[in-house]
Amino acid sequence: MIEHGPLLERLLAGEFVCPISDESGYRHLTNEETREEIDTYLRPLNRRLASNEEGSVYFLAWRQLNDNARDQLSRQLGDTLNSLLPLLEWLQLVQEALGRDTLAAPGDVLKPAEFSAKCEDNQSLRERLERLATDSFFGSQSDQLDAQVKQVFKRLKEHGYLLQPHSERQVFVVTGKIDYLVDLVRFIRDEENLPIEEGSEEGSGSQEALL
Amino acid sequence: MSSNGEHALESRLLKTGSERLALLGKHADVLMQAYTRDEVPLESLSDSALRKLLAARILWRPDEQSGVKLAPKVRELIAEMLADETRRHVNADVAETLELIRALVHSYREARSRGEHWRLEQQLMRLRQEVDDLNGRFADAIDSLWQRLNSDFGFVSQLNDKIRENDRAQKQIARLLDGLALIDFDELIELVGSDGSLRKLLISLLQQQLSQHYTGLREVQRRLIELMARFRKQQARSRLISGMAAFMREHPGFVPGNYARRSEVPGLVNQAAPLSAAAAPALDRNLDSRLLAELLHQLPQPRHTTQTVEAAAPAQAQESSLAAARQQALKQDVEHFYLSVIDQPQAEPVSALEYLHESPLEWPEEIWLFQVISEYQGLPRSDQKAFRLKQQESQASQFNHLRLIHDVELQLAV
Repeated sequence: MIEHGPLLERLLAGEFVCPISDESGYRHLTNEETREEIDTYLRPLNRRLASNEEGSVYFLAWRQLNDNARDQLSRQLGDTLNSLLPLLEWLQLVQEALGRDTLAAPGDVLKPAEFSAKCEDNQSLRERLERLATDSFFGSQSDQLDAQVKQVFKRLKEHGYLLQPHSERQVFVVTGKIDYLVDLVRFIRDEENLPIEEGSEEGSGSQEALL
Repeated sequence: MSSNGEHALESRLLKTGSERLALLGKHADVLMQAYTRDEVPLESLSDSALRKLLAARILWRPDEQSGVKLAPKVRELIAEMLADETRRHVNADVAETLELIRALVHSYREARSRGEHWRLEQQLMRLRQEVDDLNGRFADAIDSLWQRLNSDFGFVSQLNDKIRENDRAQKQIARLLDGLALIDFDELIELVGSDGSLRKLLISLLQQQLSQHYTGLREVQRRLIELMARFRKQQARSRLISGMAAFMREHPGFVPGNYARRSEVPGLVNQAAPLSAAAAPALDRNLDSRLLAELLHQLPQPRHTTQTVEAAAPAQAQESSLAAARQQALKQDVEHFYLSVIDQPQAEPVSALEYLHESPLEWPEEIWLFQVISEYQGLPRSDQKAFRLKQQESQASQFNHLRLIHDVELQLAV
């Protein structure tokens, strides 16, 4: 158990462990025996190891859901929902600004400087970034583009969606917590029966059928 | 004699062939322009050059009205040379090749039974070429598929195009596999009979090569399907996120259920509160205390600045935190007062003092009024407009403008 000390500390501190945020820790967690050991250790702390469906990210969950745990979960859920739209808009903004046709995914490298440069050249992106940065979740007080971008990246790092491998270099890597966010969105859509399509619009299947 | 005729034919073929191949080099620029556009730019070609190119079937004219275009075979040749995956064709027309092989084998046997050695050689060579061609077509097709796969279909930028290209590649594989299935070795064995060179060419060599192609195709197919799944997943994620963002923008008041209150809390929502594994230096173990002492010695000496007595604050930490707690309680009670005003039917004014007396609260009147007023002033301007605060006051004396507040009335502004 002793070799898992640092990993346990990260998990207890509420971190999400994925191949990006902690490669060796994540590798250990893919071993079922290690997971059981950790679970046994966590039992007196009323916690257990949990993961998203794909198993791409691990975190700690309550073992017994007593009233305190439920209160804490309600508050946390409220916080998450408040930050949901800004996070989704940020994901869309990154996708559009960097001219990608896919969402930022774990392992993707993002450079604030590149992002700023793209927003600077495009008035509509610039405005959207401004609105986003001054949202209470990101909470930028500045009207300077660079400072706003910096603040947005800083907050995303604080919330574990981004990782900064070298503190002196402005280069960030997207972590597996993004997967968790996407899963949560999908979950809410399914639970609330929201009219949001996920499948292919053009339906290559139907085209094949026509052929 | 006939052999002489054949030789003459061959030398004529050689001459015309080289002349026409040379045309490709001579007009390379024009042909490449035609490759990238729809039509051949005629202004840079002389009439005789155009005639020669048409005669060599390097160019063709679909009909009288339309312009001159690159012949499909030439376009294919260029695409193949450039490994241009957008235009590269996969064509393994096995059925026709098989027909040709059958015909060549029959003709070969006839030549052998008649003892025509020269023709025999010719037929064998053409057979070898056909088999090589067949192999080459499969090898090219597989190479083209791998190229596209390894570049993640990098020659198109949009995900939708990548998905379509992947789909196209998978269909090509299906056609190639169908083509391979057409080759029936039992039939070929019967066809070649006991002839050693034919047997080697059409059975052992071909079988070995085709089984390699088959393995290659299956591998590409597996990888293409995997890649397709990844593309589709990326596409689904992207759509989900933009869909949810659009939905939330349209429905700003949207609140999903409180999943934490369900009897069965969904796993995704169950995320335990963070816990810090704190530790402090402990002196209850001899071994550790020596280490701690060392650490203590290694600490940089703190610079003590002389503290002046005036600057030192009285040690009242406990009292001040008590006061903060009382202040917080007062603030909460006043907030409840505000809520009760909001709950008044017909928005009737409520006296702050009356509320205090009727409630079990034990705040001094003065402090209570002060907090009610300061709470009002602390509200954002927009919220302030929702209330009307009336002060019952009187002038303290005739000689100045000091006014005493006896009570305040709070009312919802309708």
